[in-house]
Amino acid sequence: MTYLSKTMILVAGLALAACTNPDRFDSRGGANLGGGAGAGLAGSASDPRSPAYFQQAIGDRVLFAVDQSTLSAAAQATLDGQAQWLMTNRDYTAVIEGHADEQGTREYNLALGARRANAVQEYLVSRGVAGNRLRVVSYGKERPIEICSNESCYAKNRRAVTVLSAAGLGS
Amino acid sequence: MMRSLLTLLAALMLWAVPATAQQGGPLRLEITEGVIEPMPVAVPDFVADTPAAQEFARSIARVIAADLTGTGLFREIPAEAHIGRITSFDSPVQFADWRAINAQALVTGAVSVDPAGRVVVRFRIHDVFSGQELGQGQQLVGPRDGWRRIAHKVADQVYMRITGEGGYFDSRVVLVSESGPKDQRVKRLAIMDYDGANMQFLTDGAAIVLAPRFSPSGDRVLYTSYESGFPRIYLLDVASAGRRVLPTLEGTMAFAPRFAPDGRTVLYSLTQGGNTDLYTMDIASGASTRLTTAPSIETAPSYSPDGRQIVFESDRSGTPQLYIMAASGGEARRISFGEGRYGTPVWSPRGDLIAFTKQSKGRFHIGVMRVDGSEERLLTASFLDEGPTWAPNGRVIMFTRESQGPQGEARLYSVDITGRNLRQVPTPGGASDPSWGPLQD
Amino acid sequence: MNTGQIISGAGHLALIGWALFGGAFRSDPPPFEVVEAVAISAEDYAAILAASRPEAVANVNTPEPPAEGEAAPAPASQADSAPAQNPPAANAAPPPPDPRPAPAPPAAVADTAPEVAPPAEDMAVLVPQVSPRPQPRPAPRVAPEPVAPPAPDARVDDLARPEVAPDAGAVVEEIPQEATAPEEATTEIVTEAERPRDPAPTASLRPRARPAAPPAPAPAPAPVAPPAPVAPPAPAPVETATPPRPETPRASPPATDRGAVSDALAAALGQGTPTPERPAGPPLTAGEKDALRVAVQRCWNVGSLSSEALATTVVVTVRMFENGKPDNASIRMLSHSGGSATAAQQAYEAARRAIIRCGADGFDLPPAKFDQWRDIEMTFNPERMRIK
Repeated sequence: MTYLSKTMILVAGLALAACTNPDRFDSRGGANLGGGAGAGLAGSASDPRSPAYFQQAIGDRVLFAVDQSTLSAAAQATLDGQAQWLMTNRDYTAVIEGHADEQGTREYNLALGARRANAVQEYLVSRGVAGNRLRVVSYGKERPIEICSNESCYAKNRRAVTVLSAAGLGS
Repeated sequence: MMRSLLTLLAALMLWAVPATAQQGGPLRLEITEGVIEPMPVAVPDFVADTPAAQEFARSIARVIAADLTGTGLFREIPAEAHIGRITSFDSPVQFADWRAINAQALVTGAVSVDPAGRVVVRFRIHDVFSGQELGQGQQLVGPRDGWRRIAHKVADQVYMRITGEGGYFDSRVVLVSESGPKDQRVKRLAIMDYDGANMQFLTDGAAIVLAPRFSPSGDRVLYTSYESGFPRIYLLDVASAGRRVLPTLEGTMAFAPRFAPDGRTVLYSLTQGGNTDLYTMDIASGASTRLTTAPSIETAPSYSPDGRQIVFESDRSGTPQLYIMAASGGEARRISFGEGRYGTPVWSPRGDLIAFTKQSKGRFHIGVMRVDGSEERLLTASFLDEGPTWAPNGRVIMFTRESQGPQGEARLYSVDITGRNLRQVPTPGGASDPSWGPLQD
Repeated sequence: MNTGQIISGAGHLALIGWALFGGAFRSDPPPFEVVEAVAISAEDYAAILAASRPEAVANVNTPEPPAEGEAAPAPASQADSAPAQNPPAANAAPPPPDPRPAPAPPAAVADTAPEVAPPAEDMAVLVPQVSPRPQPRPAPRVAPEPVAPPAPDARVDDLARPEVAPDAGAVVEEIPQEATAPEEATTEIVTEAERPRDPAPTASLRPRARPAAPPAPAPAPAPVAPPAPVAPPAPAPVETATPPRPETPRASPPATDRGAVSDALAAALGQGTPTPERPAGPPLTAGEKDALRVAVQRCWNVGSLSSEALATTVVVTVRMFENGKPDNASIRMLSHSGGSATAAQQAYEAARRAIIRCGADGFDLPPAKFDQWRDIEMTFNPERMRIK
């Protein structure tokens, strides 16, 4: 490893050490990785063309009721915004991640998360987003963003998150 | 009425002729009420026949005793209480010494290390009160570093000869080893002895891995991994740790795999367009066949031991319940009707019971029911118990228990199918999704 | 508001990109949690993985101890070759004449994790914090002699499980008296079998009966009982005794009527007992028989029997000495029903232990009636003890 590498890692590490608000990101950094490949959340949330804007101003996630995969009115409003953004920013593709809370078996939750992600995908497609720009994946209960064991956390974990990536990398 | 008259008559007759009844024949008794308690067993240190065997003489006896007491069916009489000493394997046992401390079974043995450096163990099992040997003495030979397996094999013999149940100590378990916080958990595939010893990792922690399943012969493992970014099923060769992904359609998710009893077919769940159904795949050709087509979730399938039926979980009724259908698909019959949600059914190796996870009133349970859904019994209860797996003899179930809250972590537990003897399986760290392999050769 | 986030995000990206492409961590597998996210095309990701694959494999081997255990291929060293040779060697077994092919423990199991060894001991102790049992210790089922007739009252005390644990120490003392009684207290085991409601499924038939178990020595299992009509419904705690008919292999248990009759007999006899008539040759009174039955039951431990053995009824015969002690060498299994020969053997052994252990100091039988109890035939029917 070169001196340069070490320096860069060190600097990067220090810089990231300041990031102390984990749940602002998808905790495990799902969005970050996408960016890591090149696109990223560059730009300011105030720039409507930026992924940051998508993530924060529009909202990159929708929540679900227990055992449900139907979209609430609020969720639909969020997804309308997402659809609009995706229609405008055609350089991006997205992976929709479905999640479940920990109340349930591993296998069932994987299937449930897939249902949720799929509901979002179908809605976005119905709003004009090309289906080939969207992929779905379910994490079941494997990646909660909130870790307490009560409804306040569960509610936030029952989610579908639209994670952007640069089109060049998309399928 | 008739009956009571008859009774009365009989009573009178007896009353009248008390003496004549029993002449000649033996006295007959029917014993219907006994006691249920662990059998007291003594496992004195084995005799070291060669100096090099010294180190094994005690440790082998200790592992045997731990195996036996771990079943809950035996309790060990500690060495301090022993009166008799076994100084030579071939001398007659002084049973009075062992009766005196109420040992009912006695295991004696000798260890030596042969010229080739292998460990040679001879052992005998004695029924103390009858002063007889149970079965005949046996000899086992194995490499030095395989001494624990030799001990497990001895314990299996003791267990089989005394209980009549098949053994399970010389078996391994594949599992997911867990570390790190709940929201960033690192999961690695690992394999260990049934008692938690000798754990080895089979994957690194780079990708999430879930629910490994042993092949019937224990040589391969199926598991789900996010290595590609999407859940896919991998087939891993235990000996070489080499693995390959099983082919599935682009844009789908495959998970919950399980081997067919023949070891050549994989039964699994595939999600496409948000709908999860059951499929089978011929491992050699990679060709898949769809078994269910309902719009509901069908997952967590498991074959019956004869491979002719499949039990699985489906929410076609509105909540997850258990169903059984033919291995080729078709009409399914619901078998769970209790209050709550049922999941991860697993057919017992004996074929008569199905273990499952049940969620009811905010608690999780591991339970068993008959194949027709009758006689449901819950064996455990906790904040989160799930994913049962059967010991090779069908007598014990191991499962994942996860504790509550931000610090919650997963551990493995085992329980006898009677519901007795719940205990934690020691693992170096967090652990989940156990799959119990077969008894080793 | 989000400048920080942006910076952070960009930083993460850069760092991760570096990690992935720069090869910064090549040699250092330790999980970098941030890595496994998704938003990246399948192809690229696959490519990345492909690139790092060797790394993964290396990792597999990394588990601290060098030996990656497992089967033949990898370790190759002597460990592996050894097991292969075992089988033959095993048979060579000189001392113990062993008809069976001694199961050779093959596959080298390369003990790895040295730290893991100790856990074996811990195991026994760990108590599940959240035990499922609803009621602490209901004691119901195991009660050795709950309904017992008046006479054997003393035994009932056994149930009081105060001395549950002390087994080990206590046991040592118990040399002389057959008072294994205290041990019965171990009822707690049963207790643990929570199950507040549903009854247990009865024993389970096991398809593949372990051929392993040795065929058993002397007592050749009597003609196996006919398939269907096996385990008698076990009427009252009564002894079907009365009708002396040694010829019948006792295959058929008491029919309903007979059950009723014997019930009545028992009742009648029960009333009659108080008068301990003791003419020389009369049969034992119900009380005397009950005392004997209870004495044997206290030592009949079915706790370590397989579920199949628990579904097997065995008829055992024993010849008694005049001092009330059983002639241990005379104990034989006359017949069995409900299970395989192997299961019957286990059931028989448990029955034999019961007779020997509790008879060690002699059963309390009236010497004057020795002729009546010189030969005793006991039917051990575990139906009620099954998975309680």
